[in-house]
Amino acid sequence: MTAIEIRNLSKSFGAVRAVDDVSFTVEAGTVTGYLGPNGAGKTTTLRSLLGLVTPDAGEALVNGQRYASLDHPLNEVGAVLEATSFHPGRTARDHLRIMTTAAGLPASRPDEALEQVGLADAARKRVGGFSLGMRQRLALAGALLGQPKIFILDEPANGLDPAGIQWLRGFLRHLARDTGAAVLVSSHVLAEVEQTVDNVVIIAKGRLVRQGTLAELTGNGGGAVRVKTKDDFAPALRAAGAEVEEVEPGVLRVKGLDAEEIGRLALDQRVLLTEVIHERSDLQSVFLELTGEGAQA
Amino acid sequence: MTNLIRAELQKLFTTRLWWAMALVMFAFTAFGLAFLIAQAGVAPANGQPGLPALDDPAWLPLALSFSSGANIFTMILGIVLMTSEYRYQTITGTFLTTPKRGRVIAAKLGAGVLVGVFFAVISLLFTGIVAITAVLIGGGSIDLTSGRIPQLTLGVFATLVLYALFGIGLGALVRNQVAALIGGIVWAYVIESILGAFPALQTVGKWLPGGAAQALMNIDFDTGLGQPNLLPAWGGALVLVAYALLFALVANLTTTRRDIT
Repeated sequence: MTAIEIRNLSKSFGAVRAVDDVSFTVEAGTVTGYLGPNGAGKTTTLRSLLGLVTPDAGEALVNGQRYASLDHPLNEVGAVLEATSFHPGRTARDHLRIMTTAAGLPASRPDEALEQVGLADAARKRVGGFSLGMRQRLALAGALLGQPKIFILDEPANGLDPAGIQWLRGFLRHLARDTGAAVLVSSHVLAEVEQTVDNVVIIAKGRLVRQGTLAELTGNGGGAVRVKTKDDFAPALRAAGAEVEEVEPGVLRVKGLDAEEIGRLALDQRVLLTEVIHERSDLQSVFLELTGEGAQA
Repeated sequence: MTNLIRAELQKLFTTRLWWAMALVMFAFTAFGLAFLIAQAGVAPANGQPGLPALDDPAWLPLALSFSSGANIFTMILGIVLMTSEYRYQTITGTFLTTPKRGRVIAAKLGAGVLVGVFFAVISLLFTGIVAITAVLIGGGSIDLTSGRIPQLTLGVFATLVLYALFGIGLGALVRNQVAALIGGIVWAYVIESILGAFPALQTVGKWLPGGAAQALMNIDFDTGLGQPNLLPAWGGALVLVAYALLFALVANLTTTRRDIT
């Protein structure tokens, strides 16, 4: 069974179409990055999936069911939404105890989950004094309480320091690889999830733009290299098995060799290269353009 | 459902508000009792005493009825039980844990009933111990089964429970914690006080929760403004039940379908 399934999901808030006919799936044992600029509709999609927002059309299902119809939701889905949703006067442990009581889980779970996210020492401290990183860990502990096989995380890296992001990456990989969980993690920064995800879904202005594997996104397979040289380099490249196209005088588009191989060939041939650039793959340029990072690249 | 009610009580008892409320309630009750004791049987220069004397059997019911003044505190706890979920956005986690929202509302109302009962017990115990001591020192005798005391005790329970439910309903409707608290206090202390104090206005006031609670407790003490115009005790009880259902309905309607963003 598909762990997460979004089918033709649409949702408007007033005149704003936050999510427009979005469909994708997440399978067990994989991490899917849900990417898009701020305001693209990521949060609305995830909240529809969690029964917090009622879609106008389409369906968002976990384990083939609507979240609101699950009898033991914490045992099936662990969710991390915004980091601020704690009562500041309550201790970390009490926060988890309340969830444990309401869900009818064993009373030992809060301490186990706090241990798992490295918050055991802060268990009896009030959340009001927690850093953003500690709040994110506490939210994650809440998601782990019911030992679910599906995780839905909305911008979990927000506010984490580099060490925290590193830890989160490892943790998400562990959940998918070692426990076979399906993980859906949203982000507006490609670099944050690049090293973690297997699949990528890109959304902008409420519409699904592209989806594919990480390899397709980062252009590791089949990416072209753009070479600038005043010398006649094309014959040597072709002889080395590359496909060469002269896009303008002095600029070659080379496929089949990577930048290092081209550089080594140029060295052998005593050819002077003035520029060697890996062309961005289609998906990545789409993402950078959408998030406004394209201008700097 | 038991689990959910327990979780709601944990929410209340894992923050510091409840014992702050209990402390303020003790101070408030102590202040009122001090006044009732000091003024008992004290007559103006020439005229009838404003309050019955300590050895007058009418004094103890009057003092015990003062316990219902704690309604303001159960109302505040009811408001906070609902609005702090929105204020701190813990409503998201609550609905993730229990996506069937009607069950969350039912649990909150159930917890509200228990909070009302709990505060009625501690308020009555505190008032009872102080008032009975005062009566015994004043030379009176105690008979807790006499007069209106059993009915009055029931009335205190009903009032404190109902105002907790009223607070939850109000909190679900208004959601902004400060606005709900101000609205609730203005309602209980200003609007109901005015409409309940003057017999001429009691044609309206008797239908409000405060007036209905007064009817249930049957406090026909003449404040000097004329005989109170109240419903019969059973009428007061019916009106209170109707309000409880109304608040539950309001809380349910305003909460179950709203998007949480």
